[in-house]
Amino acid sequence: MANTAIELPPKGGFSFDLCRRNEMLAKKGVQSPSFRKTGTTIVGLVFQDGVILGADTRATEGPIVCDKNCEKIHYMAPNIYCCGAGTAADTEAVTDMVSSQLELHRYATGRESRVVTALTLLKSHLYSYQGHVSAALVLGGVDCTGPHLHTIYPHGSTDTLPFATMGSGSLAAMAMFESRYREGMTREEGIKLVCQAICSGIFNDLGSGSNVDVCVITKGQKEYLRNYELPNPRTYVSSKGYSFAKGHTEVLSTKITPLKEHVKIIEGDAMEE
Amino acid sequence: MSIFEYNGSALVAMVGKNCFAIASDRRLGVQLQTIATDFQRIFKIHDKLYVGLSGLATDVQTLYQRFAFRHKLYQLREERNMRPETFASLVSALLYEKRFGPYFCQPVIAGLGEDDKPFICTMDSIGAKELAKDFVVAGTAAESLYGACESMYKPDMEPEELFETISQALLSSIDRDCLSGWGGHVYVVSPNQVIERTLKGRMD
Amino acid sequence: MGDSQYSFSLTTFSPSGKLVQIEHALMAVGSGQTSLGIKAANGVVIATEKKLPSILVDESSVQKIQLLTSNIGVTYSGMGPDSRVLVRKSRKQAQQYYKLYKEPIPVTQLVRETATVMQEFTQSGGVRPFGVSLLVAGYDDNGPQLYQVDPSGSYFSWKASAMGKNVTNAKSFLEKRYTEDMELDDAVHTAILTLKEGFEGQISGKNIEIGVVGTDRKFRVLTPAEISDFLAEVE
Repeated sequence: MANTAIELPPKGGFSFDLCRRNEMLAKKGVQSPSFRKTGTTIVGLVFQDGVILGADTRATEGPIVCDKNCEKIHYMAPNIYCCGAGTAADTEAVTDMVSSQLELHRYATGRESRVVTALTLLKSHLYSYQGHVSAALVLGGVDCTGPHLHTIYPHGSTDTLPFATMGSGSLAAMAMFESRYREGMTREEGIKLVCQAICSGIFNDLGSGSNVDVCVITKGQKEYLRNYELPNPRTYVSSKGYSFAKGHTEVLSTKITPLKEHVKIIEGDAMEE
Repeated sequence: MSIFEYNGSALVAMVGKNCFAIASDRRLGVQLQTIATDFQRIFKIHDKLYVGLSGLATDVQTLYQRFAFRHKLYQLREERNMRPETFASLVSALLYEKRFGPYFCQPVIAGLGEDDKPFICTMDSIGAKELAKDFVVAGTAAESLYGACESMYKPDMEPEELFETISQALLSSIDRDCLSGWGGHVYVVSPNQVIERTLKGRMD
Repeated sequence: MGDSQYSFSLTTFSPSGKLVQIEHALMAVGSGQTSLGIKAANGVVIATEKKLPSILVDESSVQKIQLLTSNIGVTYSGMGPDSRVLVRKSRKQAQQYYKLYKEPIPVTQLVRETATVMQEFTQSGGVRPFGVSLLVAGYDDNGPQLYQVDPSGSYFSWKASAMGKNVTNAKSFLEKRYTEDMELDDAVHTAILTLKEGFEGQISGKNIEIGVVGTDRKFRVLTPAEISDFLAEVE
């Protein structure tokens, strides 16, 4: 009881305080809300000098597009990045948590993180939640043992592959990879194929859309190409926009609060009254 | 019925030139019956940071209390106000903590950051952040708000024009949502003043 | 030892109002190797002696200056193993702060958290105080910062400070040399000169450690080669 009165910053771990209430509400016939999903096409492939990751940028909540340009390629370590599909909050939280663990591990060991370390941390977390943390990931990076690409399923199973796709657009993207991937591609060929795979997801899968993000990781180097391609620009917006005359809206009351500022006046200009 | 439809709500925030606006409807209902017509969903965290909470009213009030508590603790500890980005991360962390038994609430956060750069953001009920450069919406009227804002919004509006735009977007959207309405609350925050207005709307 | 009956438990004050275990811990710090730090106008430097018990020890395996976050570094005087516990806890605290706020922890906050841990170890059952004092150097939104944290859990912000075996000489040397507008490179020179003051034997890149943080907010431990270059400049 005393703990509830003085809350402390969360030290990690979930709280199940509201579960009973929410269950009671559910029994009375009120539905729990749906969560924001990434929808998503995410892909990755191994090319001659490293790994290329790609993602679309649409976030959905049911049939509604709630973010037209979100980021799905998450930072894990300077040499490792991770694409996330599934429940947006889960992919964000799980990648943040593991990237923090990796940083502590780097401080403790004084070495660059390995992709398998990230893989193991991710899969053991996901496995322990038995699929309830619904994150489907494509993990890629280059470490002292070379380039690596893995997929991780929400239940914690993993694959090690030369090219991989995930998310609702994975079939569309895989079609491109299966027909066009070959070993030892150059950087340009690799980026081009990743873009084709993502675009295939964007145009053929309704859960994926908007732009293409690409991340190229090579030995000792990485390049995050945010919005590398913009195949869906806005076409419908009026160039003039709407203008409303001042006082157009009927107002019942107005309260204006000046913000007395901690403004430091550096030059001697007087303030306007 | 979804739990969000229990009380009904409409929330929107927009970015202008060195300013932002955040607006909500004023209705509190229990399903189709209206309980109050002056309900507050937008709360001040500090002079230049506001949070709007859509969804279940009981969770709205509980969450606001937790946010205010955590922000005050931060202020005392660090002797400064939270940056809007920082506050958004805090909100996200507090919501995700309840991943498997969530608050039925979608927050909208709007604030002026360093150099009075406007920041707006919304989340789902478990803290998945959505950062936008133009506008964010939440609540039962979200769908119609998306439509209204997509067409009415334009970049770099001055405070007065921003007020008209956000008000028109809000009023037109809540007219198409039976669960929200009864006018609106609008806050327009610029670096040196806050304009707070209540709007007249339909009363049905 | 008149006080010995008051030192069997940490939570027992002596009649004169002292917690003798804490004073013993300070003695452990006072007999440790000298460490010092200087806050310059555009950065901070911390430096420490790295004298090893035998020439047979591989000196590259010993790290006395460590990073807590990318912009904050720490060194210690006193018992090495104790410092590792604090470093581990502080790093974790920094990560927790970052995960909550997505913002790097300010130096003041991290120092206070570390000091809180040290204080807890003066009041909890079954533990002893840490036999170390820490020097924390960092650069954040409030500019360059240097803190010293003692076994009691008290902490102070310093313009320049020293601790360990040679503390009195080093401090008076720093008092003479310190100026507010010192540049980082000058501060490194002053740090080396101060260490040199009470150094037994020949100072080299291998038996001292230096860590610097500048306006780029990247804390960096200098390599033996870089230290040797600085040593050459000083001479």
